Amino acid sequence: MRRGLVFPVTAGAFAAVLPLTLGLNDYYVFLVTLIMLYTTIVVAWQLIGGLGGQLDLGAGAYHGLGAILTGYLMVYHGISGWVGLIVGGVAAAGVAFIIGYPSFRFGIREVWYALSSLALVLILQKIFLLWTDVAGPLERYIPYAEFDPIFMRSGYKTFYYYVTLALLAVTFIIVHQVRRNKLGLYLQSIRDNEEAAEMLGVDVRKYKLLALMVYSFIAALTGGIYASMVGFYHPILFDSWISIQTVTLSIAGGLGSFWGPPITSIILLTVQEYLRITLGAVIIGLHQVIFGVILIFIILFKPDGLGPLLDTVALRLGLISKASKRA
Amino acid sequence: MFSADLFTSFIQYVVLGLMLGGVYALAAMGLALLFGVANLINFAHGEYIMLAMYMTYVVSLGFIQDPVLSPIVTVPVFFLIGVLTYLGVFKRLVTAPPLSQIAATVGILVLLRNLALTIWAAEPKAPPYTVFATSVSLGPLTIPLDKLVATVVSIAALLILYFFLERSRLGVAMRAAADDVEAVSLMGVDTNRLFLVTTGISMALVGLSGSLVMTFQAVTPTSGLLFGLLTWAIVALAGLGTVRGILVSAIIFGVADSLASGIWDPRGREIFLYGLFILILWVRPKGLFGRR
Repeated sequence: MRRGLVFPVTAGAFAAVLPLTLGLNDYYVFLVTLIMLYTTIVVAWQLIGGLGGQLDLGAGAYHGLGAILTGYLMVYHGISGWVGLIVGGVAAAGVAFIIGYPSFRFGIREVWYALSSLALVLILQKIFLLWTDVAGPLERYIPYAEFDPIFMRSGYKTFYYYVTLALLAVTFIIVHQVRRNKLGLYLQSIRDNEEAAEMLGVDVRKYKLLALMVYSFIAALTGGIYASMVGFYHPILFDSWISIQTVTLSIAGGLGSFWGPPITSIILLTVQEYLRITLGAVIIGLHQVIFGVILIFIILFKPDGLGPLLDTVALRLGLISKASKRA
Repeated sequence: MFSADLFTSFIQYVVLGLMLGGVYALAAMGLALLFGVANLINFAHGEYIMLAMYMTYVVSLGFIQDPVLSPIVTVPVFFLIGVLTYLGVFKRLVTAPPLSQIAATVGILVLLRNLALTIWAAEPKAPPYTVFATSVSLGPLTIPLDKLVATVVSIAALLILYFFLERSRLGVAMRAAADDVEAVSLMGVDTNRLFLVTTGISMALVGLSGSLVMTFQAVTPTSGLLFGLLTWAIVALAGLGTVRGILVSAIIFGVADSLASGIWDPRGREIFLYGLFILILWVRPKGLFGRR
């Protein structure tokens, strides 16, 4: 077996049997699935953020759109969640195009891009809050089914675990492939120096837009899975916290590093969930205070994030190949 | 069709919006000052305002009684918070790329927001009513006195800041730094100290505006996000220019806010405000009074 495959295959094999080690306990499987859903967004964010250098805070918008549309089709039209996922994904990519095209056209960058994508989360949340036919102020409950894989509804959380695992794996493969081919190089050139890239003939707008649309599609899928798993939807799922969490985990993991952000994400989210279970009942929000402090320290004292560190360790242990350490 | 009632209520909302604009201008001024002079992107600006609002709540509940008097405490405390933030975090960020500045201040955002959640929980908190919590009638219009006081104090503070920037040596150094930091540094100004004072003043303004906002509003841990986006939107429209530029664009947002929540739906105001924000970025990336 190629050296570069050792780590992914080991991790994949571990992930495949993880629910069994948790004794198929619905609560634990639910938590692990949640961590993996958020990690999927972090991995997808690498396209626009880690590679493209655009600090996108719109994850909550796309996640929410996927959740609402998937839920809406399931509740009101009895349409299978699988169809809902695709509809949500396409809608999110469409919104990303509508917002992204003028933004990139008018050269909106850095803090202004970050702010306008964050504004999108709140705009969509309020639109769906006022749109009472679709979402409205009340929670809408998705009909219960003990196990209906065709409708994508299951009382057993393990079902969602494997759906999420598949999505995470596909997202890993997409990001890995993008990094290896020209698109990845174009995006990195945009991140490092947009003017220079443009002068050398890179179609900056097109590649940024492409990265944004793929990322928003995947973020919408995580939303659809989430809505079906928790069994309801509500405009509150347009959650600015998801945006902030995605960006902070990615930066803490190291922008541009391949394994850094997902590993950091899994570690920190697990710590966070653990603290939530143990401390959350006592003091709400304390686990995230710790989260904020960790982030500030990482940026101030290790601006490249934990990625390079993790990559070096993994390389020493022969878990990954040199190729995936690149950039 | 013209209706006298509709016209009166329209004027009423515009007047309320003008007053709101004065308060928003003060809230955005600290952000514009820090961004303009020290070139620091403070993503947690809204969270600092939220913290000032909570401090007003605590102070006026504890020993001052009336929130109108709370700036006596919040302004000096926030100046100190500004100094500490600069020494602890911003000092290392001055020369850092924008991405690192955003990342580190997002860290502060996460910290403050959850600190507020930890200490005060998610329910809205409001201080006791001020003695000004009444309104006067002016012909067909109703002027709420608490908002009027907040506006007058805000405008007065902006005027003082304006003369400080125009007349004092420190103010001139700040304006010069906004134009060209290196030249200022070559002229013998200690930029490190200049930025320290700038952060302090920025936060003192935050403290004052948080107190004034609290005279007519409640606070939750998510208030920070709202004020953060709003103040950034005002700075985007003003284009980092002057005190006057901030005032004009804050009034535009104040009136838009008041009209959207009065005539349409209070829940829809954010759609309107943030939509306006995105449009401004598209149409006028340098703002109305832009310098860069």
